Amino acid sequence: MHRYILTRLFYAFISLVLLSITIFVLIRVTGDPVVLMADPGAKEEDLQALRVELGLDKTYVEQYIVWISKLARGDFGKSFMYRIPVFELYLQRLPASVQLAVAAMAISVILGIPLGIFAAVRVNTWLDSFSNIFANLGLATPSFWLGIMLMLIFAVNLQWLPVQGSGTFKHIIMPAVALGLVFTSANMRLARSAMLEVLGSEYIKLARIKGLTENLVIFKHAFKNAVIPVLTFACINFALILQGSVVVESIFAWPGIGRLLVEGISSRDFPVVQATVILGGVMIIIVNLLVDILYAYIDPRIRYGQ
Amino acid sequence: MPRKSQHTHTALTRRRLLQGTLGGIAGLATWQGWPHLQVAMAQKGEPAGQMTWAVHVSIAPTWFDPAETSGIITPFLFLYAMHDALVKPMPDNKMAPCLATKWSESADGLTYDFELRQGVKFHNGDPFTAEDVKFSFERYKGAGSGELKKKVKAVDIVNPYHIRYTLHTPWPDFLTFYATPATGAGWIVPKNYTEKIGNEEFKNKPVGLGPYRFVSYQSGLELILEANMDYWRKVPNVKRLVFKSVPEATTRLAMLKQQEADVTYAMYSMLGEEIRRDKSLKLEPVLIPGNEWGSFVDMYDPKSPWHDKRVRLAANHAIDRQAINEAETLGFSRLSGGIIPRAYDFTLPLEPYAYDPKKAKALLKEAGHPNGFDAGEYSCDAVYAGVVEGFVNDFGAIGIRAKVQPMERAAIQAAQKDKKVKNLTRIGSGAPGNAATRIEAFIYSKGTFSFIKDPEIDQWFEQQSVERDRKKREELLYKIQQKVYDEAYFIPLWELGFLCASGPRVAVSGLGMIPLHVYSAPYEDVQLKS
Repeated sequence: MHRYILTRLFYAFISLVLLSITIFVLIRVTGDPVVLMADPGAKEEDLQALRVELGLDKTYVEQYIVWISKLARGDFGKSFMYRIPVFELYLQRLPASVQLAVAAMAISVILGIPLGIFAAVRVNTWLDSFSNIFANLGLATPSFWLGIMLMLIFAVNLQWLPVQGSGTFKHIIMPAVALGLVFTSANMRLARSAMLEVLGSEYIKLARIKGLTENLVIFKHAFKNAVIPVLTFACINFALILQGSVVVESIFAWPGIGRLLVEGISSRDFPVVQATVILGGVMIIIVNLLVDILYAYIDPRIRYGQ
Repeated sequence: MPRKSQHTHTALTRRRLLQGTLGGIAGLATWQGWPHLQVAMAQKGEPAGQMTWAVHVSIAPTWFDPAETSGIITPFLFLYAMHDALVKPMPDNKMAPCLATKWSESADGLTYDFELRQGVKFHNGDPFTAEDVKFSFERYKGAGSGELKKKVKAVDIVNPYHIRYTLHTPWPDFLTFYATPATGAGWIVPKNYTEKIGNEEFKNKPVGLGPYRFVSYQSGLELILEANMDYWRKVPNVKRLVFKSVPEATTRLAMLKQQEADVTYAMYSMLGEEIRRDKSLKLEPVLIPGNEWGSFVDMYDPKSPWHDKRVRLAANHAIDRQAINEAETLGFSRLSGGIIPRAYDFTLPLEPYAYDPKKAKALLKEAGHPNGFDAGEYSCDAVYAGVVEGFVNDFGAIGIRAKVQPMERAAIQAAQKDKKVKNLTRIGSGAPGNAATRIEAFIYSKGTFSFIKDPEIDQWFEQQSVERDRKKREELLYKIQQKVYDEAYFIPLWELGFLCASGPRVAVSGLGMIPLHVYSAPYEDVQLKS
């Protein structure tokens, strides 16, 4: 088991190094940030002075080494635009993203799993068809369109909910629905497939032969086995939701990490973009690592490489 | 057994009745009279209420510090609230005395004396003196700082309320740079406080002389200010100002409708139409000094069709500017034949080229392109792609085939600066100043964004830069602008009608009160309805 964990940790480290190089190079390909920071008519010497101040006059390799060595000490640098340490900025925005991710995840699990279970139990009936249509709509509907429609209906026309911002339960409803719908559909489909597979297994047939009620068969025996892959998927998705809510946060002016990333990209704020992506990568890698370890703990065949 | 008094058992006694009646009357009077009381309090000089702006940009703390004012108008959205200047544009005067009560220029044009307003205090209680003016000038590193520092020889404190600027040589544009939003050099910060807290921390905790003091700031998200009761000009009407960053335009509109915001900016096209339809909202277009035009990047290449003046003129006559104006800004922009706002000093008012596709085709035929030609790409900031598409469609109608090339803002700015764009490019500028400053950037051959190389224009420009006689200077600048028009060096479009809006709670939004100022100002004059 220790060897398995160490191996996974090693791969996680390699992934982070590759991620750091990728984001470092990609953000610099977008161009020179001092052009946006300085006066549009600034002379070249003024721009160069700014580059020196920000450490952008060095070669890419030198800049990368400086960045990585600071990262190793927990220093993510200072935002070009906001002039405060990036980690402090990230921590200011993180709670809002966590709230939104939890709410979206709750919606996707509470709606998606039961819908999937019922679709499997009532396979090839109207409920199954309805669930399929719902899933397809959920996967196909762009979140930005859904967000604007929700805003128009519930905030502007019905005036039941506030348009934007955060702080109360009412503020979170629309963004959470807009963000959670696609994951609801994904969870629903996965729950349906997992349930159908479990319902077709031998021990379920035995349970029925033994005379157990259908409810007992489904909720006591089948459900627990079917929900494992769905919950695993949901846990992995949590990290993705946390990092990927860029569009929804922009529409609803939600003060989260996704919006911070957009601001950073628009203003070529290298430290913000680098830190946000790296920290997001760390989160995703940690979640995947924990899931791998958990699986290995549950299933010995995995940790012994069979 | 004595009988219990009836009064002890009866709920309603005479005293209680009297108390209840008086209480009810008082309550009713308060409930009915509270709005009037608030107005009365406001009218008596007590600020009341809160007003919220949904702004279209992420709020950056560099905009709270006059020393870092870049050559765009956005910082002034906040500077007018928190800070004050010696001289600045106000509703009745484009160079209104503010922290300076009067100023004078010496006969030889080498010194400028400013007398300062006395008895004014910063938000932290520090008294305002000439020390702060000198300090603010010396720490200034924003737009135009190079030019200012190069031309100003010395800044002398004559006495605590008298400061003198001495130049190396006469500079006719000193006040344009110092006393207008062309730079932030004349906006004053407290010396003692800033030196103590440091320049970086100042941006997070700014202190100024403006009508509103800083309360709190969430990075990029929200700024809250509160009325400065000691503001020298007047006590503000509104107690609290909140600025929320909401980059998404449809969200800003929804906020306005829901009264989550009171004023908002940049409501173009269909959003502007929706505001016009909604009787509870008010569309308030502001004509700003933001000109847009197309530049012929290749016109000095003899192989390029744009080398021929007739082809450039054809392009100008092909554009239906009014249609683009109606579509994009609901007709509120002012079409122009030049690239300089008419309200600027030394601007030659030029009528837009007439929309005449027949004439355009005839010119093309005369120039040897009867079937048009492939014009390549028309690069632009992606935000303005809609306008450029209008240009490209109109070109297509006369046979000039071009393709819109939208680019991200920083990329197009860098490409234009480094002269890496090709064929045609869209340029816009809202930089404050006068005709000379606009010409310097976009027409003078050494200008940062200039694609023009005209020695005659260069000569006129250099002559006017040292000419102290206003009339002669005007003549030279007019000659430059006329030549640019005659040679069709640009495809000018308009002075932008910036579509803003206010909600039902607003009595005075501040929009359009200061000529050429894009945003709400002065903030001490904004008002909510009773």
